Amino acid sequence: MNPRGSRASQPEPARPGGSEQYLGQLLALIARGDEGAFESLYDHLSGPVYGLIQKVVRDPAQSEEVSQEVLLEVWRTAARFDAAKGSAATWVMTIAHRRAIDRVRSSSAASAREQRTAERLIVEDEVADTVQASLDRERVRRCLDGLTEVQRESITLAYYGGYSYRQVAGVLGAALGTIKTRIRDGLIRMRDCLGVEW
Amino acid sequence: MVRLLRHDLHTLTGVYALDALDTQAERDRFERHLNRCQSCASEVRGLRETATRLAMAAARTPPPGLRHAVMAAVTRTRQLPAIAHHARPEPRLGWVPRLAGAVAAVATAVAVALGVVLAGTQHQLDRSRAQNQAIAAVLAAPDAHVLTSKTSKGGSASVVVSAAERKMVVTTAGLPPLPSSKVYELWLIGAHKNIRPAGLLPLPVNGHTSPLLASGLLHGDTFGVTVEPAGGSPQPTTRPFVLIPLTG
Repeated sequence: MNPRGSRASQPEPARPGGSEQYLGQLLALIARGDEGAFESLYDHLSGPVYGLIQKVVRDPAQSEEVSQEVLLEVWRTAARFDAAKGSAATWVMTIAHRRAIDRVRSSSAASAREQRTAERLIVEDEVADTVQASLDRERVRRCLDGLTEVQRESITLAYYGGYSYRQVAGVLGAALGTIKTRIRDGLIRMRDCLGVEW
Repeated sequence: MVRLLRHDLHTLTGVYALDALDTQAERDRFERHLNRCQSCASEVRGLRETATRLAMAAARTPPPGLRHAVMAAVTRTRQLPAIAHHARPEPRLGWVPRLAGAVAAVATAVAVALGVVLAGTQHQLDRSRAQNQAIAAVLAAPDAHVLTSKTSKGGSASVVVSAAERKMVVTTAGLPPLPSSKVYELWLIGAHKNIRPAGLLPLPVNGHTSPLLASGLLHGDTFGVTVEPAGGSPQPTTRPFVLIPLTG
């Protein structure tokens, strides 16, 4: 089986298809207590939720614990999803990212995290273990490569590392204002490179 | 000075989108600013969607126990109601019928998104609009419910069924890719070997197939998927690798 080969005839899947939006429909059904809809959402998003949390939290057991909390919160608060404010995937991933950050910023291991270097967090170090992830990863990596070094390191440390921008400034030895604008400029470049629509 | 301060806040959109502000006080202050600054709010939305792409790229197969743990917790966890007095902007397109409650807003968003994805010639656009309306109608039906099953080939299939509408909407996630000489074909399997073709799965995008509508459901039908030669078959030529009874 060669997933890449069989995709060759497909148009460039640069943006999420209808199934991405379908997640919003699932959330509406979940809000009505539909467990089947939740199971379907689990199948679509548990990989990104767990993967993102593990990047930030690192420890697998804690990552699993936080993932469970996040997915349960999605179930509990599905009625509060507002499609006008962003996509369903973004709503879920925002919950996941914030919970992961709460965990690392409050944990006693926080000081050990300071030892980490930006390089360890860059996406290419990881091995994609799903076809979907490897396609997404390839695209994201291509766009990250188009950033300046400071932009790339700031975004990577902040998002995948869970660092605050003050901590990022400390790690990279740069001024706070510099990090602030590098993160914004870099993200805007990523947005345009990935063809994100909102 | 005030202008400088505003500018200062505006450039925090990226940091805020990555949840990288340092304190709750900083977040509160920026969110107050967002309520007043429409262009900032719009920029934050786009940058958050961008961050979601970074999250998708980090996907990892979760530990096998997670699914069971989460589903078990779900059955005993009470849900919160929607926040009251919630101002929701009007749907952006007029052609979608007004439907009840939260489902309507989401259904509209889906229809709009699908319209954008499927848009081509005017003729295609009209067709896809009709199709999207039909899909939205199934998903918004009062009796709509979702059935999900793992398949024996890996991945999963989900069916939103409305017995009242006699229709279903099918999506899949993570089915193994097929060579171009094969397709996934959907079937409605009734009593007495009454097997009706229900469409061909579209090519996946990032492992997911976009919602596909099938109509003419009969009481007691089972939904199934087989691998068929390109173009599909009038009757299945291989065994279904997933079967979902659509009771009711």
